[in-house]
Amino acid sequence: MRIFISGLRKLIGRPASFVSVGLLVGLLALILIASATAGQSSGARGAAAARQLLTFPGSYDFVLSFLFGFGGLVAVTFAAAIAGSEWSWGTLKNAVARGESRARYMLALFAAIAVMVAVGLAISFALGIGVALVAANIAGISTAGVTDSDTLARLPAMVARGWFAVVEQAALGFAIATLARSQLAGIGAGIAFYFGEGFAQIFLPDIVKYMPFAVARASVDTGAAGGGGFGGGAAAAGALSPDTALVLVGVWLVGSLAVAVLFTERAEITG
Amino acid sequence: MTTADGLSLATRGLRKSYGKRLALDGLDLSVPSGVVYGFLGPNGAGKTTTMRLLTGLLHPDAGTIELLGKPFRRGDRKRLFQVGALVESPSFYPYLDGRQNLRALASAGASVPAGRVEELVGLRDRARDKVAGYSLGMKQRLGIAGALLSDPKLLLLDEPANGLDPAGIVAMRETLRNLAASGKTVFVSSHLLAEVQVLADVVGIIAAGKLVREGTLDAMLNDQGVVRVRVAPAQLDAARALLEPMAAVERTGSLDGDPWLTVHLEPARAAEVNQRLASQGIFASGLESGTDLEMLFLELTGGENKGSSEGTFRAIDIAGQGQGQGAGQGRGAA
Repeated sequence: MRIFISGLRKLIGRPASFVSVGLLVGLLALILIASATAGQSSGARGAAAARQLLTFPGSYDFVLSFLFGFGGLVAVTFAAAIAGSEWSWGTLKNAVARGESRARYMLALFAAIAVMVAVGLAISFALGIGVALVAANIAGISTAGVTDSDTLARLPAMVARGWFAVVEQAALGFAIATLARSQLAGIGAGIAFYFGEGFAQIFLPDIVKYMPFAVARASVDTGAAGGGGFGGGAAAAGALSPDTALVLVGVWLVGSLAVAVLFTERAEITG
Repeated sequence: MTTADGLSLATRGLRKSYGKRLALDGLDLSVPSGVVYGFLGPNGAGKTTTMRLLTGLLHPDAGTIELLGKPFRRGDRKRLFQVGALVESPSFYPYLDGRQNLRALASAGASVPAGRVEELVGLRDRARDKVAGYSLGMKQRLGIAGALLSDPKLLLLDEPANGLDPAGIVAMRETLRNLAASGKTVFVSSHLLAEVQVLADVVGIIAAGKLVREGTLDAMLNDQGVVRVRVAPAQLDAARALLEPMAAVERTGSLDGDPWLTVHLEPARAAEVNQRLASQGIFASGLESGTDLEMLFLELTGGENKGSSEGTFRAIDIAGQGQGQGAGQGRGAA
């Protein structure tokens, strides 16, 4: 527990935490404000689609779709940066030399990352909805749907599924950076894997639908929130049922953590 | 806790290779309890590999380690709860301040408050500054503070004087001596011979992955003691004949051309040398005595880079007019 709390403290003070949330919220705000501008002129191309994005309760779905889609990529890089820095800065070395269990240290660190992902998603969601409300007002769209009871009722389950899916993607970045023992290599490989999976979907759809990013997207594709369209195997979303995908998300999560922990247990720490 | 033979740390036949390169070749260390042990060796001799093995960062290919009287194998990590370590350059989160970094380290268990160790290493005033702004010496002090957090019975420090200013080195030396006086064992790896000479009680010298000498510093230096005496050239042979019954004598050169005789005996007998010469009407124009760890070190490690896998500087003429000259070759002039 002490290592977990210490891990949280370290992540709270870390610039990467703020940058990740800032990037997510910034891009979301940009899209929403751009949609508001496009939606203001009814004759403009795509105005109808833009207005649809800003119309509640549909805006909830868009914001969540964005957070679970692009948020997955951000989570990969965030977790890779943290796991990689443990090796490149040598801070894991300090803990091991003090008698700390390598496996427990890595798991506690990842648990802290999972909590930070939850906090980051919650902040991004709140800010995203706030910006969507402002954008809707700018575009002159009614926000009456913001209190739609059906949407609000299914929101907690959607957010929980989404968080789990994003955490799985973070675990993948965590494992890659641990294997690479490097921040940069981990981030680079994580991003390459994310987009590589999307490209592979074109040629190998039946295989890619079981891959980590595809199952993450499919697990939140309950028909309302949509699978998004932000890369990383989005086209495969829907190929698996959300519940099957959710199970596979769990398998990938556990598998990634097992790889990271086993590698750390066996590693010779020389940095 | 120590072994029955009073050792805090012992290794037997410790071997470690990195691929085809053999880093440690059957290292046998015996570190008594309650002393400052200086672990000396040239760059690449295997000091840091030894430290990594002693802290569980690496696992040996063969051999055994005993920490505080008990075997230390893969899976015996809890033995390290009583060990404080600073291995290689200290590592910290640059975006956290010194205090926060110590707290992060303390999450693995600490029995000394962070403020106490900050005070001990002189970082209290800068404890709230981000580590990214620390100098190398400050990071080193923070690393030592981190090693002391668990109030360890055995302290393993890898090159602790790195980056410290002279005042910091003196303060660190006093701190380590006090820790040893309080019954703790301090194991210091270093290539700074002068520092080890004033700090350590017991010294182990490693070269090419093997321990080449181990013992108390006093005994080692007494064996290595010399008295140098300078006499007029005309009296050189007579002086040599007088001194040879006392110990081995050799003639050494001098930059200004006057000869010196080097007598290999304890420095405390310098007056005896002088008296013996004077009794026969030979008056020394110069007399020096001392012990030289550096000389011993170079002798044991093979001078230049024989004891090292990393090589070292060579005294060469950059303009390309001279031949390479080993470091050991430049010595000898008194």
